[in-house]
Amino acid sequence: MAELRTEEFLVNMGPHHPSTHGVCRLILTMDGEKVVAIEPVIGYLHRAIEKICENRTYPQCTPLMDRFEYVTAMATEHVYALAVEKLAGLEVPERAEYLRVIMVELNRIASHLIFWGVTAMDVGAYTPFLYGLREREDIMDLFEITCGQRLTYNYIRIGGVSKDIPPEFVPKCREFVKMMWSKFSDYEGLLNGNPIFLGRMKDIGVLTPEAAIAYGASGPVLRASGVKYDVRRNDPYSVYDKFDFEIPTQPNGDCYDRFIQRLDEMKESLKIIEQALDNLPEGDIKCKVKPKLKPPEGEVYSRIESARGEMGVYIRSDGTTKPMRVKLRGSSYNHLMLVPEISTDVLIADVVAIFATLDIIMPEVDR
Amino acid sequence: MDLISHIKNLLLGLGIAGKHLGRHAITIQYPEQRYDIPEGSRGIVVLLSDKETGELNCTACELCMRACPTAAIRIDSHRDENKRKVLDQFIVDNALCCFCGLCEEACNFSALKMATKYEFSTLDKDDLTWDVKKLQEVGLDVDYVDTRKKKKPKPAKPVSDKQASTEPAAPAKDNTETAAEEKPPVADETVADKPADTATEAADTPVAEPQPQPATDVTTPTEPTEEKPPPSPEAPTETPVEKAIPKTEDKKEGDQTDASA
Repeated sequence: MAELRTEEFLVNMGPHHPSTHGVCRLILTMDGEKVVAIEPVIGYLHRAIEKICENRTYPQCTPLMDRFEYVTAMATEHVYALAVEKLAGLEVPERAEYLRVIMVELNRIASHLIFWGVTAMDVGAYTPFLYGLREREDIMDLFEITCGQRLTYNYIRIGGVSKDIPPEFVPKCREFVKMMWSKFSDYEGLLNGNPIFLGRMKDIGVLTPEAAIAYGASGPVLRASGVKYDVRRNDPYSVYDKFDFEIPTQPNGDCYDRFIQRLDEMKESLKIIEQALDNLPEGDIKCKVKPKLKPPEGEVYSRIESARGEMGVYIRSDGTTKPMRVKLRGSSYNHLMLVPEISTDVLIADVVAIFATLDIIMPEVDR
Repeated sequence: MDLISHIKNLLLGLGIAGKHLGRHAITIQYPEQRYDIPEGSRGIVVLLSDKETGELNCTACELCMRACPTAAIRIDSHRDENKRKVLDQFIVDNALCCFCGLCEEACNFSALKMATKYEFSTLDKDDLTWDVKKLQEVGLDVDYVDTRKKKKPKPAKPVSDKQASTEPAAPAKDNTETAAEEKPPVADETVADKPADTATEAADTPVAEPQPQPATDVTTPTEPTEEKPPPSPEAPTETPVEKAIPKTEDKKEGDQTDASA
């Protein structure tokens, strides 16, 4: 009888796989049931947003930013607007900044609700997906009465916001915040102690703080590893220095901690929204911006804390109406590079959980 | 001990899901039930007509065309014997439109709006390119606030105001030059015409005035072409759809070369 021989083999996951949240291809090198190595293949969603921006005027780039990271499109618009304002030296009215903060935080909750539902669905629990999207729908309604769109808002503009909130927005938003606070007991009871869920998430894909910092991780992924870093607190922009909120962290950095981290962050976002609604000042919603905006020559980098982590925009201006170079920094790219790092010696099913809890969305990786 | 807490947690989760058993579904059964679209929601671009006369408000100033990031709007116009701009064709390619609303904001004449309509699916991609006739027809029942400046004793003043506010809105360099050339005659027109032209309803829309002939005689789309062949070489032919696509691309390329220069 011939001698038994074992060897590693390749498994192709994606590009069209339900758990890759977009079109990402993972080439898994398997040793039996165990994953030995992972190679992510990216570029399937490349739309050349950065290049297209060079052929658009500054205001015309805002709709493109919605497509960069569409789950938290408000944050993307915010960082772009901040960059151009810094470049052109524009002074944004305080009411506009408060409105921006409210919208970005609402959007952060919407994004985390999607994360919460989709991650649970990826590891086999379908119910949270329905509950999460149900609550997200209320946020989308709030956005729609404000700016007229449910996904690609084009709301946060250079110099302010496009429209003032309608009179019914504040009561509706307060109602939503109240409703949202009451939902957390459901959210936490549904899965957090479920033994099957714990078995899928606990001690899987442990990310050490050192590795997280080395790979440039940010946002909830970094904080779930115990590093207390938040751009809103460490490098305050907009009016975030006026709000009182905690930066939650988790001790272990495994999949479960990253899952819980988002639930905790939603609560902090709700606190910020409450304070912003209470202190919402009257006044203009947009400063005077020349329709033919020509920022002076120079370069600028602005960064904010989006739902996924640090998001940045680098703009180089040559003094014309169009940017000379736009570079976008999306945290999903760094987090995707973490997948090979933290998923050694795990099963394929664990790769799905790791990929899901890193909350990677592919348009942010490929732009 | 561990087992007991596990069972407890499982039951807790089941109980939470069970609470929803008797509740109504929040899903809307689409074709039968419809979601209530709030006012201000951005749907299809439509052209608005004057509430009294039924003429199009559009003055063919092309501000929306220049504001559009995806070059989804194309406007053809010519000048009549009084050197006024006359709108020949207004084409919106809904396949290119990204529903950002920049055209609506660029417009100073309440001429176009993103209506709350959204049902325009079709089996043929060419059907998504709408011409002026279709855009006006869809916009007829759209309510809007007329922000146009009304007739004033001294027409010279509002015209210069309008010019100051509209002209810098031009984003592309090459277009602005043409705008600078084109604008003054229009403005002079208004001043000169106003006293004689008592029949016009709004001070700022003299250029829209000659529109009724092509707009009301919509039953024959070829009529504008036959009516005034010399001044409008790009006037709509039998197939405006086919012409629309190469035209917009040309425009875009022009913009790009301008940027690199």
